[in-house]
Amino acid sequence: MEGLFFNVNGGFIEGIVRGYRNSLLTGQNYGNLTQCETIDDVKLQLAPAYGDFLASLPPNPSTSSLANKTTDKLVAEFRYLQAQATGSGAKFMEYLKYGYMIDNVALLITGTLHERDTRELLERCHPLGWFETMPVLCVATNIEELYNSVLIETPLAPYFKGSLSHQDLDELNIEIIRNTLYKNYLEDFYRFVNEHPDFSNTPTSEIMSEVLEFEADRRAINITMNSFGTELSKEDRQKLYPSFGRLYPEGTLMLSRAEDIEGVGLAVSGVNDYKTFFDSSGMGQGVSGAGNMSGGSGSDGKSLEDMFYQKEMEISKNAFTRQFTHAVIYAWVKLREQEIRNITWIAECIAQNQKERIGNYISVF
Amino acid sequence: MSGAGDREAVFPTRQSLGLMKNKLKGAETGHSLLKRKSEALTKRFREITRRIDEAKRKMGRVMQIAAFSLAEVTYAVGGDIGYQIQESAKAARFRVRTKQENVSGVFLPQFESYTTEGNNDFGLTGLGKGGQQVQRCRETYARAVETLVELASLQTAFVILDEVIKVVNRRVNAIEHVIIPRTENTIKYINSELDELDREEFYRLKKVKNNKQRDNAAAEQEELGKRRGSDKENEDDTGTPDVLGEREDNDVIF
Amino acid sequence: MAAPPAAYKDRHFLAVIGDEDSVTGLLLAGIGHVTPPPDAQKNFLVVDAKTETATIEQAFDRYTHDRKDIAILLINQHIAERIRHRVDTYTDAFPAVLEIPSKEHPYDPEKDSVLRRVRRLFGE
Repeated sequence: MEGLFFNVNGGFIEGIVRGYRNSLLTGQNYGNLTQCETIDDVKLQLAPAYGDFLASLPPNPSTSSLANKTTDKLVAEFRYLQAQATGSGAKFMEYLKYGYMIDNVALLITGTLHERDTRELLERCHPLGWFETMPVLCVATNIEELYNSVLIETPLAPYFKGSLSHQDLDELNIEIIRNTLYKNYLEDFYRFVNEHPDFSNTPTSEIMSEVLEFEADRRAINITMNSFGTELSKEDRQKLYPSFGRLYPEGTLMLSRAEDIEGVGLAVSGVNDYKTFFDSSGMGQGVSGAGNMSGGSGSDGKSLEDMFYQKEMEISKNAFTRQFTHAVIYAWVKLREQEIRNITWIAECIAQNQKERIGNYISVF
Repeated sequence: MSGAGDREAVFPTRQSLGLMKNKLKGAETGHSLLKRKSEALTKRFREITRRIDEAKRKMGRVMQIAAFSLAEVTYAVGGDIGYQIQESAKAARFRVRTKQENVSGVFLPQFESYTTEGNNDFGLTGLGKGGQQVQRCRETYARAVETLVELASLQTAFVILDEVIKVVNRRVNAIEHVIIPRTENTIKYINSELDELDREEFYRLKKVKNNKQRDNAAAEQEELGKRRGSDKENEDDTGTPDVLGEREDNDVIF
Repeated sequence: MAAPPAAYKDRHFLAVIGDEDSVTGLLLAGIGHVTPPPDAQKNFLVVDAKTETATIEQAFDRYTHDRKDIAILLINQHIAERIRHRVDTYTDAFPAVLEIPSKEHPYDPEKDSVLRRVRRLFGE
């Protein structure tokens, strides 16, 4: 029954997304890319998929401009989709953008904190995280003003409310603000897909729950591991964990108490997937835990981060096996993001002549 | 002789000859010492240049690896962290101090890197994701910067040694090509002047001796004549006026 | 003999003139230092295609001449190329000026002012 009326509003978008999905690079394409000798060759190989967007690039472009152009395509397609979306679908896509908005806002807060001209920051912002009142942020010259008059107006205001006041903005490290916002955002998104009448008990809520739970767990694990050796206290750390996910509540509690990598391994051992990641990345043994991180080219196996990305891609790929859902948009965006990262990585490897690690990209098709 | 006119303004006396001889000896000792110093420095210098060459090449590689680890960060974080890093830089964690090394009397500064504890500007960068890569990248770059510091030491040593060797070589050359020839010239000049005097003296003495002999001979003859004249009533007394004899007499007074 | 200790004993910092990636990496290594306000001087300069040569020269002079706390100045080779005459005529020992490669411009020993001096000395 759930699919009966989906196509009235969402069918067109879903169709387009599936079309976009088919234009994603395949393993074969990546294989060709890795054989390239110069960035120009890469450009040529990408021509079928990216054609117009790469046309304006100068010969032998820098990897960052290549990444920018590929992102432009994602943005253009996303905007087109959003223009077509209606009702709850449009709302869903808004949610997708919040993640990028958080990054942009964090960037602007950094600029304001250091009293930089925030105007020049606007071009550094991620275009997907653009919102109408963003240029207004540049008007603010101090944090209090920024908070009282500007941030309140942004779509992110609910995430600031209750957890951050304007005093926090200048004292807290910008990374903590960013992660607090992200936590609130994830929780809100999770609530949205599960409680919104259009989504609850549909494939959307099923897939999105899985994706978001995974995202929440990944953040919790990453935050824990990255906070070792920094001044972030355990209490502060615990505040950054999203309050859902497969690790929640026992796992996150154990994470909040973890002192070292081994502790993290123990905390996540309740979830089979993560346990496998830990074991195969060599982090679980503890002996090679620290050693694994040293050396620019020393890590032979895949890092935990890589495996998380891999897993995310698997989930996103599987999302396309379901029908009548907006979750494919999310999955598609994630897949495209990974594709951009892959292209950048391969281009970087070629530009810097580090071919031995060129195969480190993640391809699921 | 090329340096004939180039000598020191001294009176050609035996005392100044002694001085000059001492000076020449000093200059020769100094020359050999400086020459040895210059050789020692040059040896060091060549070693340093060789190491610079190596280090520069090594730097090329190290920086490449470091740049690559930054690419890894970009991949893992999925965005640009440059601006954030630039803004959050406050106090240098990585600093250098300088100590000295003595090479043949030349103090070569050496940079030594050290990290100050307790300020960690980017501890939380990439907290959400990519933190491990950021950490790894920091370590890689820290190692790269160490290489750079090492290279900077070499390069500073190079610049200073270059300067010092130039100065030393200039001195060596000055001694070899100016001071020593000039002193030698002076010695030669003094010697020749002294020889000249000697010869004059010798000639004079010889002349004096000759005159004396002739005077003596003349006196003897006169004596003889007088004795004979007194016998013959001074027959040829007026016939031979003794002009020469008179002049000789004048000359004897010296 | 060539340099009195006073010339370098206060020199603790490194300075960078480089493209964004080089500067970011070196800052990650922890060389970044901003002097306390009000003058708040940074010891790094990010150069991109839009940066004017005059700005680079100014920064070069500031780090080599005005500031007495910098021991080593790192400069990307392709940027040094833009102010080559300055770099070549700079011969002081302190601070040491070091040309470093950047991501997109691999190291070319032919252009390095110091290596060129090395070559000249050996008559190559």
